[in-house]
Formats: sequence, C-alpha cells, structure tokens
Amino acid sequence: MDVNPIKDAFDRVAKKQKLSYSKTQEVIDQIFQEISDTIEKIQNTHKSDSRSDYKALLADLKTKIKEMAPLTLLEGTQKELNVALSKYPKLLEKSFNPDISKAYRNVDLDTATVNYIIASHFYRQGLFDVGDCFVTEAMEPESIASIRSPYVEMYQILEAMKSRNLEPALKWATSNSSKLKANGSDLEVKLHRMQYVEILQSGIRDEALSYARIHLARFAADHFAEIQKLMGCLLWAGKLELSPYPDLLYPANWDKLAEELTRQFCSLLGQSFESPLGVTVAAGVQALPPLLKFMNVMWGKKQEWQSMKQLPVPVELDDEFQFHSIFVCPVSKEQATDDNPPWLMPCGHVLCKQSIVKMSKNLSKSFKCPYCPTDIDSGNCKALYF
Amino acid sequence: MLPLLGSNRQPTFISQIPNPDRRDSPKMDIDPLPNGGPAAAVAAAAVAATNAPSSKLSRLAESLKLEHQLTRVPFEHLKKSMRANHRVVEKEVSAVVSAVSDAANAPGEDDAVDRLSSLVSRLQGLKRKLEEGSRTEHLQAQRCRARLDHLESADPENLSEWSNTRLKRIVVDYMLRMSYYDTAAKLAESTNIQDLVDIDVFLEAKKVIDALQNKEVGPALAWCTENKSRLKKSKSIFEFQLRLQEFVELVRAENSMRAITYARKYLAPWGSTHMKELQRVMATLAFRSNTECATYKVLFETKQWDFLVDQFRQEFCRLYGMTFEPLLNIYLQAGLSALKTPFCTEDGCTKEDPLSQECFRKLAMPLPFSKQHHSKLVCYITKELMDTENPPLVLPNGYVYSTKALEEMAKKNNGKIICPRTNFGCDYSDLVKAYIS
Repeated sequence: MDVNPIKDAFDRVAKKQKLSYSKTQEVIDQIFQEISDTIEKIQNTHKSDSRSDYKALLADLKTKIKEMAPLTLLEGTQKELNVALSKYPKLLEKSFNPDISKAYRNVDLDTATVNYIIASHFYRQGLFDVGDCFVTEAMEPESIASIRSPYVEMYQILEAMKSRNLEPALKWATSNSSKLKANGSDLEVKLHRMQYVEILQSGIRDEALSYARIHLARFAADHFAEIQKLMGCLLWAGKLELSPYPDLLYPANWDKLAEELTRQFCSLLGQSFESPLGVTVAAGVQALPPLLKFMNVMWGKKQEWQSMKQLPVPVELDDEFQFHSIFVCPVSKEQATDDNPPWLMPCGHVLCKQSIVKMSKNLSKSFKCPYCPTDIDSGNCKALYF
Repeated sequence: MLPLLGSNRQPTFISQIPNPDRRDSPKMDIDPLPNGGPAAAVAAAAVAATNAPSSKLSRLAESLKLEHQLTRVPFEHLKKSMRANHRVVEKEVSAVVSAVSDAANAPGEDDAVDRLSSLVSRLQGLKRKLEEGSRTEHLQAQRCRARLDHLESADPENLSEWSNTRLKRIVVDYMLRMSYYDTAAKLAESTNIQDLVDIDVFLEAKKVIDALQNKEVGPALAWCTENKSRLKKSKSIFEFQLRLQEFVELVRAENSMRAITYARKYLAPWGSTHMKELQRVMATLAFRSNTECATYKVLFETKQWDFLVDQFRQEFCRLYGMTFEPLLNIYLQAGLSALKTPFCTEDGCTKEDPLSQECFRKLAMPLPFSKQHHSKLVCYITKELMDTENPPLVLPNGYVYSTKALEEMAKKNNGKIICPRTNFGCDYSDLVKAYIS
C-alpha cells in the first residue's frame, strides 16, 4: 500500500491550515493596529490641545474597520480550509476499508471471557503491572490469580538468564526433569552445557570438570558426542574463542535457550508458546480482507451472513495458523468430514468418498481418475486418516 | 519403493481436472456452496476468484487497508480543534467590531480611550489564544503524520514487531471503549505507543459517560452543542433523547409545572419530526413515576440511563469515524471463525491452537466454521505442513504421516514403522505416496 498520496494530501491540509492561521493573525493584527493608532491620535490631539473631535477619529476607525471587513476575510480563509478538510477524509475512505465492522456478526462476545483472555495475555507477556491494573479495573482478582503466579516464576527465571544467571532455570529444569523428558525436550542438558561453558570460560578448569562429572555425566547415554566435544573444550579453558568450538560462546545461544525454556515452561503449564490472543487477532487480520470483500458484494443481505454455519468464502491463512489437517476434495471442493472421508485411489490421488461414489455410479462401475488416465475400481479405494 | 506413479505424470493430464465452478460439468453436479442462499453463492464465487493465494506484500497491503480508524480519528480530532479555534476567533472579532461601533457613542474622550484600550487588551488575549490553539493543532497534525509514518514503516520481511504493536493498539482501543482508562494509559505508556492510540479523544467521552452514569445530562448536552452541526448532518436525535430523559426526571420529582415549561422550551421544537415519542413522554404527566402501565413504566427505569450511555458511545464513534464495536471484537471474531474447524474440539488438538482453550471455544461457539479451498495437511507427528517437499505417506492401515517423520522413525527402528495412533506395525517399504492437490 502506498502511503505517499495520503501523506501529500495531508500536507495540503496542513498547508491550508498554516495559511489560514497566518491570515487570521494578519486580520487581528490589523484591527489591533488601527485601534492602537486611534488611541494614540486621540491622546495626541488632547496634548496638542487642538480641538479636533475624538468623535471624528472614532467614526474614522469605524469606517476603516468596516472597509477591512474582517469577518468576510475570516470566512474566506475558512472556506478554503474547509475544502481541504472535506477532501482528506474522502481520500481516507477510498484508500482504506472505511468500515471493517461490516464483517462483524451481531453476536455478543462475552465480556468476562474476553477480559480473562486479555489478562492472561498480559501475564503471559510479562506485563505484570499492566495486567494487575487491568484486573483491578475490570475483573475479580481471584479468577485470574492461578494464571499469574506461574508466569511470575517464568519471568524471574528469564530475568536471571538475562544477567547470565542460570541457577533459577536449572532449579526449575531439575525439578521438572521427568516431565521435560516426556515432552522430548533436552532443555536440561542444554542448560547444564551452558553452565559448564560459563565456568570453563571463566578459566577455572577444575571446577568445570567437576561440574561436568556431577551434572553432565548422567546424560551420556543420549548425548555422547556432545559430551566428548565439551570435554575437548577443557583444553581451551578461558580462551574458548580460540578452540574449534567458538560457536559455544555465541550470545544468540542465550536467546535460543531462553526461547526453549519459555516454550517448555508454557507447555508444562498446558499453555501455548505464542499468545493465543495474538494468534487469533493475527488470524483475524488475514481473514478480514476476504470477508469484507464478500460483504461488500453481499451488502443488504446481512440476514444470510448472520445465520451461516460456515464462512461463505474461503479464508486462506498463512501456514503458521494451520493447526489441523484440512482435506478439500478437488472435485467437490468440500471439506472432508467423518461421513465423507478422503479416499485414496490406487493411483495415489485422493478424492472425497462422495465424489468417488458419484463417479462410480454408486460404486458399481469403474471410472477414470480425474488426474491421470488410470481406470479406478472403487473396491480398491481406501479411507485415509490424516 | 514409494509411489505407484511417477510424479512427473501429473502435469500432463492436468487439463482433465473437472472445473468445479462449471455447473454443467458432466462429472459433477455437487453444489459448491452448501450453505448460504444463491446470492451468497454468486458473491462467494466472485470473491474466490480474486482471492488467489497472496504474496506477503499484497497480504500486508490488504491488512493495512483495515487501518482506517488509525488515520481517521486523529484527523477528526484535528478538524474539531480547527473548527473550535476558528469559532473563537470569529466570535471575538465580531464582538470587537461591534464594540468599535459602540465606542463612537462614548460620552467622553476618556471613556472612548478606555473602551478602545480594553479592546486592545481583548485582542491581545485573542492572539494568545490563537497561538495556543495553533500549538494544539500542530501537535494533532503531528499525530496524524505519525500514524501515516507508522503505516509506512510496516516491512513485509520483518513484521513481528509491527504486529505486536498492532495487537497493543487494538487492546488499548478495547480498554478505552470499555472505560478501562487506567489500563489503557498504562499499556500505552509502558510500550510507548501514545501517538498511535486515542486516549485523549476518549477522555472527552469519559466526562460525558461518567456524568450520564451519575444521571447528569449537562456534559452530554454541552457535547451536543459543541458538535451541533455534525450531529444535525447525521440526523442524530441524541439531544432529543437527553431532553426526554430530563423531562422524565422532572416528572419523577413531581415537578409538573417545571416539566411543562421544560417541554415547551426543549421538546416542542422536535415535535414536527418526532411527535410520537413526544406524545408518549408527555403522557407520563398523567401516569406518574409509580405507574404500572408498561408503556410508561419503562420510561422511568434506570436502564434508560444505560441506554443513553450506549447511544452516546455510538454518536461519539460515528463522529470520529470509528467502528461501533471495539476493534478487538471485530478481529477476534474474524480470527476465531477463520481458525474454527471441527477438529479444534478433538482430544489431540495441539495447544498452539487458540481454540484448544476453553475460553476461546466459548467465544467461537456461535461463530461459523472456517472454509478452505485448498487441502492443507499437518503431520500428526511433527505438526509440520506436508507439501511437495515433505509429502504425505500412507500406511497400509490408511493413516497418513509426513515423509520426514516416517523416515526418522524408520532410521531409528531399523526400517520398522509403528503407527502412533493405532500401534499398527509395518515396514517402510509398505508405505505409498498420496498425491494431494
């Protein structure tokens, strides 16, 4: 989207605004000047004792100001400004979608639920101050307390890691060792490795060795090669950057480790790694444009929109939003369901059952695969489970 | 060992694919749109045609087009200040002009000088005001520019921070509309997005809403006067509704004489267009506040005040070019629908799917399911997308996993494959490739 034409249009508004300001100032200055002059003249005539009439001067002033027609001047500048002021919003309406609520269905989102989701989001993002403020302002603190405390712990661990202190992380990983293993995560060994490297790089070889004996040895079964490499590092204590493994010192390793820890921590909490609110809103951002396009065509038929069981237009989200396998029959364009499952034909192509039933005249005849010239005997098709 | 057919045979026969949009296609007469009426079908087809899988850039452009409110609100705010400042100048200047005429009738010279001097200081005051107003306008114009710059700064290759800011903006908008002002201010401040949210605009609404909640119409009426011409343009009857309520309150207080005077002054002008409402509310004089007559009883209920608050919010949003619904609700609804599949409620649903959570499911309940025109298969084991790089393989029992996952499993298990969902065992060589189009 090109923002420049909008910027230019806004600059025109700003220019007119400046012009109007300086003209207004001019008008005021002029009146100011005329009145001040008149005062001076009246006072001067008084001093010189010439009996010229102050009334004449006042009448003079009145005519002058009347000739100046300040109100007409002001009106004129305002008119010019108004043109710019009414043009700009029209451009905005043309450049943007002027009303994204056209795609909104009038079903109330339950406020308490939305608030709960937002509060969880704040805590998940580590915005504890904002979260607490929100909870006091909008909801019952008890309902959310159980969400808050684990995230406090998580952010304490992450904060410590930022200042290169692995103790809290190791403590947490050790006490959740079996759960982490069940998750298929080797976070624990990664943390110990990092700790070992830190000790080694500080130059205390003996301490590093004894740390490895206590903490790394027990991972030998699954991480044999890795541990060999770490032992090799002992030769370069205090100067790992010169060793064949300088990658062990990359600062990015800390970021990766922190991410991995966050992922595992959330997973053990039964929560997602990404904020679900963030994911849903991001999906909404991608879904709205096609929905709005549809609504613009459909305008006036809102009734149908309110009662639909499935969105009327396909909404393609990016891959990151794909959490489930969706099979769309390439013939009927319908999504597979339990009643209409995907069937694999002997040639390797897949259609939905109903399409195969139709093409085979109720499974009575062989038919040609729509993708390749193979003759398909419906008896040789089988259901797939994704 | 893998596919029954070489994949190179596919393109040759692509022309045989039946066109699903052609109703006269001999092989199929399945309605492509199982829901919605015929109008919906036509519209959907029109949209589907333009909805080809879009590149990052066009996707970003589409998403930026949703930001009307972001650019419109600060502009309306600026416009309002400009108009108000101009009105002040006009008023003052015309007062000075007529005062100059009056001064001609000054009884004495000293008196004339006094009068003129007071006009001089009045003009000086006006100049100060004008400068002050211009400073505010300048700040507001800067804000308009900041928003445009922000839109321009969205880089399709590096969107995550921009998207985070968008989420925060949307949440702040929600807070402001729900009157959670402290949180709104705190969130905006802690993430430094004050220029991208409309806290000051909503503080203006807060005054009116607070007063209405205290059963005071004063600030609301003042707001109506301030925005008189624009309310008139949109044929708003908000002021009339406020007047009706004030009348009802006089009746409730048994202050009939004042009520009648009030009605003559403030209700009668609306008679030509809203006689029915006027008659109805006048009848309360006869029925009084303890009436059991349903038609009039409802006028005395406290929820009338909540109704006024709602009404005000709507007028307010309309004036500033905002949507009536909080942005968050609009995005949430669209997102929930787009993510809602029948599989979200199944046991194996991944935690990363927002709809695996109870509260999200609750919100999504009344919403329609998503619709997709292209198959997208996610491997049960790796949760990765299966595509031509990582094609799906079928076990003899019909279960499908990604090549990557099964290769890995075979490597670890000496070529043996065990279906994680059924414990069915087979050899890697028993697998066949499935072609998904």
